[in-house]
Amino acid sequence: MTPIADIGSFNAAREAGMAKLQPAAPRIGVGMGTCGRGNGAEEVYRAFAEAIEAHGLDIRLAAVGCFGACSEEPLVNVWIPGQPLVILRHVHSADAARILADVHQGRIPPDLAWCKIEEWDHITARIRYGAGFPELPQWSEIPFFHGQKKIVLRNCGLISPDDIDEYIAVGGYQALYKVLIDSRPEMVIEQVKAAKLRGRGGAGYATGLKWEFLAKAKDPSKYIVCNADEGDPGAYMNRNEIESDPHSLLEGMIICGYVTGTQQAIVYVRAEYPLAVHRLTRAVEQAREYGILGPSVLGRGVKFDIELVEGAGAFVCGEETALIASLEGFSGRPRPRPPFPAQKGLDGKPTNINNVETWYNIAPIALKGPAWFTETGSARSAGTKVFSLVGKIRNTGLVEMPLGTPLKTFIYDIGGGGVGECSIKAVQTGGPSGGCIPLEMFDTPVDYETLAQLGSIMGSGGMVVMDENNCMVDIARYFIEFTHSESCGKCVPCRVGLDKALDVLNGFTKGAGNSAQLALLDELGRMIRDTSLCGLGQTAPNPVLTTLRHFRYEFDDHIIARRCRAGVCDSLALSPCENSCPLHMNIPRFLGLLKRGRLEDAFESVILDNPLPASTGRVCQHPCDMRCRRLTMDAAVNMRDVHRFIADSILLSDHFDAMVARVADRKLPPTGKKTAVAGAGPAGLTAAFYLALLGHDVTVFESKREAGGMLRYAIPEYRLPKHVLEREVELIRRMGVKFEFGMPVSSAISLHDLDEQFDAVFLSIGTWKESWVHLPGTELKNVIPALLFLEGVASGSVSQIGRRVAVIGGGNAAVDAARTALRMGADATIVYRRERKEMPAIKEEVDAAEHEGVKLQFLSAPHRIVGDPKGNVRALEIVKTRLGEYDLTGRRKPVPTAEVARVECDAVILAVGETIDLDFARGSGLTLRENGTFVVDRFTLETSRPKFYAGGDVITGASNVSNAMGYGKKAARRMDEALMGVKRFQRLSGGFDASEYEAEPATEIARQRPAELAPAMRVKSDAEVVVGLTRGQASAECGRCLRCDVRA
Amino acid sequence: MPQKRISIRIDGELVSTVEGKTILEAARDAGRRIPSLCHMDGLTDVGACRLCLVDLGGGGRLAPACTTPVQEGQAVITNSPRLLAYRRVILELLLTERNHICSVCVANGNCELQALASALGVTSVRFPYRYPNLPLDLSRDRFVLDQNRCILCTRCVRVCADVEGAHVWDVKGRGIYSRLISDLDQPWASAASCTDCGKCVQSCPTGALAEKGKAVEEMVKQTWQVTNAAERKRAVL
Amino acid sequence: MTLPTAVTPGKPDPEKCAFIDGVIARSTGRPGSLLGILEAVQENNPRKYLCSSELRYIAAKTNTPLSQIFSVTTFYALFNLEPQGDHTIYICRGTACHARGSRNLLESLRLDLGIKEAPDEGGADKLTLTTPDGKFTIRTVACFGQCALAPVVELDHRICGHLNERALAREVDALRQENHQ
Repeated sequence: MTPIADIGSFNAAREAGMAKLQPAAPRIGVGMGTCGRGNGAEEVYRAFAEAIEAHGLDIRLAAVGCFGACSEEPLVNVWIPGQPLVILRHVHSADAARILADVHQGRIPPDLAWCKIEEWDHITARIRYGAGFPELPQWSEIPFFHGQKKIVLRNCGLISPDDIDEYIAVGGYQALYKVLIDSRPEMVIEQVKAAKLRGRGGAGYATGLKWEFLAKAKDPSKYIVCNADEGDPGAYMNRNEIESDPHSLLEGMIICGYVTGTQQAIVYVRAEYPLAVHRLTRAVEQAREYGILGPSVLGRGVKFDIELVEGAGAFVCGEETALIASLEGFSGRPRPRPPFPAQKGLDGKPTNINNVETWYNIAPIALKGPAWFTETGSARSAGTKVFSLVGKIRNTGLVEMPLGTPLKTFIYDIGGGGVGECSIKAVQTGGPSGGCIPLEMFDTPVDYETLAQLGSIMGSGGMVVMDENNCMVDIARYFIEFTHSESCGKCVPCRVGLDKALDVLNGFTKGAGNSAQLALLDELGRMIRDTSLCGLGQTAPNPVLTTLRHFRYEFDDHIIARRCRAGVCDSLALSPCENSCPLHMNIPRFLGLLKRGRLEDAFESVILDNPLPASTGRVCQHPCDMRCRRLTMDAAVNMRDVHRFIADSILLSDHFDAMVARVADRKLPPTGKKTAVAGAGPAGLTAAFYLALLGHDVTVFESKREAGGMLRYAIPEYRLPKHVLEREVELIRRMGVKFEFGMPVSSAISLHDLDEQFDAVFLSIGTWKESWVHLPGTELKNVIPALLFLEGVASGSVSQIGRRVAVIGGGNAAVDAARTALRMGADATIVYRRERKEMPAIKEEVDAAEHEGVKLQFLSAPHRIVGDPKGNVRALEIVKTRLGEYDLTGRRKPVPTAEVARVECDAVILAVGETIDLDFARGSGLTLRENGTFVVDRFTLETSRPKFYAGGDVITGASNVSNAMGYGKKAARRMDEALMGVKRFQRLSGGFDASEYEAEPATEIARQRPAELAPAMRVKSDAEVVVGLTRGQASAECGRCLRCDVRA
Repeated sequence: MPQKRISIRIDGELVSTVEGKTILEAARDAGRRIPSLCHMDGLTDVGACRLCLVDLGGGGRLAPACTTPVQEGQAVITNSPRLLAYRRVILELLLTERNHICSVCVANGNCELQALASALGVTSVRFPYRYPNLPLDLSRDRFVLDQNRCILCTRCVRVCADVEGAHVWDVKGRGIYSRLISDLDQPWASAASCTDCGKCVQSCPTGALAEKGKAVEEMVKQTWQVTNAAERKRAVL
Repeated sequence: MTLPTAVTPGKPDPEKCAFIDGVIARSTGRPGSLLGILEAVQENNPRKYLCSSELRYIAAKTNTPLSQIFSVTTFYALFNLEPQGDHTIYICRGTACHARGSRNLLESLRLDLGIKEAPDEGGADKLTLTTPDGKFTIRTVACFGQCALAPVVELDHRICGHLNERALAREVDALRQENHQ
């Protein structure tokens, strides 16, 4: 290669590059960044190379950089002359042959094609690929790319990073050439200042000012340093920038060298990025060969050269004074400023340090001017920033967005929301120096100032998304552990302060903490922030201070209730399943006991944890399934069906009496305390059971004729046969619980009476009032709330509903109502305004309904009910909706369209939610929230009225059976503590011999599924749909448990 | 070249000083003591202990007095409730980092850490003691190194490297696991670079480096001798 | 606890000396040379570590105080002062990997290889554990920058993404098999 010394040789290189980028034959580019390689891009490349060779095809193959969509890797782009550039995703080596065959014939495999690029703006040049493939979307129409503006990443994924000609072909080194020819260095500095370019490494200091300092420093030997020691965990944009487009970095540095009169530059790059080191080394060599680096840059008589130094693994070297110490051959311990590196830096010489990404903005600014640059971004933060969107988010990858874009655009529009069914709760920005921003603040525009106001920072642009399975106390602890181990140890606040902070946080995650320590942690955090020597220490407390500010309740959970809702802090839970269970059942124990064939012991274990095990075994939302660690291998252990099997085997057998006696033996001696429970629903029954076992006298007041609440009156027979529930209620009765039926609280017995006659009262009256929708036509005959309908069917007062029924809603009540209507001979259609995946109903129930013939209509909002003159329902008119913007629950809001449709029907069931009928609570001394629920202490369940506790739907709003029971259990424990002054609850569940259920290695078998009636059979009767596991299945299922309760 | 005289305000009082001095020096010239541990006259300052932090106003960013040069018109606050609170926490952190049981320490009564703790009223600590299991190096004839008393001020490292020119000492590891080492982390007696001059011992603010044979309370450091040596050396250069 | 015994003075073998001389000659006077020299010498060592004779030789040749060399080699995570196993497994402890369960991977791998918990000294992040038979070394790294593949493990310089405990055990088994052959 000959050095470029004039415009002629420059243009020659440019033409050589264009010939490679757009050859006469098709070109295939394989994305070969580290992410691509991690997903198998090397095999893909090899497969292409071998196939091209073997078949002697005239197709060019190139290794390009990364286009940013990491979750779609490996990415391959294909260009057929005259056609758009097409991006293929999830390409495997096995696809190579057929891709080549298609391309050879001018086609693109439709199953792999993702999007197309007709023309690309490299900022420094525009490249036209061609028009065609009308069936493919433009790249900018893909949600992940929509709204992105690629200035920094302008060349990434499109050109070969190993080929300087391709870089020159897309306008590379043109800005440098222009700057050299113009020979007005001070003007370039003015441009960078006017562009308001701020350092992209984190602190956001004005780049132009730093350059000006360096230019003014008179020392003949001074340094430019590129800080490529990207160490923020969760951020990898610098790696990708260097791997995909190393020459842009060089060009920015050379321009700076010229305009500041500096001849020596260093790139300090992490050794953990071998590919980046390799590509950069190659780029420097090529630039030297072309005379772009060396004694006379582009033949203009300017001397400039770049050296590479590999960092050796110390996060603190991202701090500029530590980086300088490292370059000088010392440990990377920061030094106090002043003197600033601009005065006395490397070897005492003036030194300017900029982050990788900052350099990538230089060529565009030099070429297109500051006015063009400030068009993008917000007033104080101009331009774009590259963010790495990772963690619990569907579309991971690198995105370049204008500064000032709201967070929710990143999370939902680009990122596509959470993974699986988990909901997102926070995003961590700025790595260990940043903070956690909660869901409620996702409207925040992302720029330097706004993030700082929230206690976080922009940092290098990492965005790690956290969902409900992440514990924020653990996240705070994690970051302190990180900075603790990366602290250089020089200054006292950082060295010792972080150690103490880590101590306190470790204690919290292990259940050893108190409120005084929480205050101390806060004080210590502020002190470390204000007194540390360098940026590492000054920002290290941010993750703690922000989580304390925005997630205080999670700290309270750990300190007061000794619970970690996310199930991360494993010292606070027996196992993930136990932690997720509202009743905190010892699931591994009953699985282990049943596995050993100890059915009766297993039953005892189950019933002591959960007094309605057969009912919950049928209707529980089974959160345990979502948390089971077996999920990462094949499928969760079917815990719900196993405990149903255990419960059925005893409750419905002749062992019943003997087992009841065995449970009753556990009753603690009579205490003489009188307790009352209002409401015989799941929460009330649970509280009553435990209060009785604890030795208290218990009376349950129930307005209806029988016990069970929603279990009896809302859940249909085919899901939960009444005789099963009756056995459970019988067991509870035999523990000594007295029932007073037909006794609604307030009308039949007043709160005052309860107060007089009892030592403690638990209120759990459920949510029986149907929310009414404001819909024209609800006054018509045969328009009925779902609960009223289901209750009527259960009690036998409703026996027909019509021929065609429309059910409005998407919860369990809607599905139950539709399936019940089906069994009464009707056609049923569920009308729901969102999409299927957003239905709150249990997924298996929705599937079952569909199998049975229930029709589901999504994205449909009720508009009005059409009636005839006689007052009968004729049809339900619906407005079709489309999904609009994301709301703060992370779901997209249904927005009505102009399209109206009719569902012909003669009955309408409203299942849009239930509220509490709290007429009785007025003037009772009980404080209510705006939504009508009781205000209780989160940890003790005490209401504002002494002696009165509340739990279940009356404090949460309509929820589900297991949650309600969880509150009943907790209330019994707290009431007992208050009545007796000591903690006695754990006395109930002792006496199990751990050697009877010792852990054994888990078996490989697949998840066992219970048999079900055939759909055609089901709709003809009320027979139970799910038959349950067989003994063999249940026992096999127990063997699948990984026994997370056993710790090494 | 005669140095330019400038005036600054220290705790409200107008003080005249010369350009090039640090705030710590200017304050001392004016008769005000700012607490410090890693500073020692004659040695290059490193700003590590953070005790000498002062408030320069404007948003509350604090600056170490030992490395911040005076500037015309500067208003320095050397003492405020916030600064005092922070200094106390720093002392609490140092006292709990290793093992500082004064009653059995050779430097008892002559220890800079102890003196500061008592001057700033640190009578109890709110953090648990770390008590790491650290060795005592008795290998040398005349001196002893007790890691348990070391506060990592690096005065010994600097005096040995800059004044004596031997560079026996450095710090290994990082963070809370940082430790003072001689040569390749070997027993002091086997560190060939050591000249046995004892400057490190005289520079040590606590009982970490001490003369052998001293009983509790007997170790009095001759810091001024080292300072004189350092200043003589600077004058020669 | 006892003090480390005095390091036996001694020179690396002539071949090694020549190698070190070459590295030093190439890099002297350039910024960052000490890190570069130490990196090159460690890479050249078959057990990927820096032994004390090498450190002494480098110190003498570059005129660097011994204590400064030791400070540098213990400050940066990349340098090893102990021989490394035949296979090195890096578990990434970056934020994205942590959020996706890398701690469980580390724990199960440690149990799988039968390595006791790390001692307090040394710090949690700079974890380096080698099996007694010298076959495997487990290390953690602050972040590989492969966050989109989280959780990430690097086995003998090969990046494996989206790993779970079972898949990791399988990968380690494959390395074990390799060992036997």
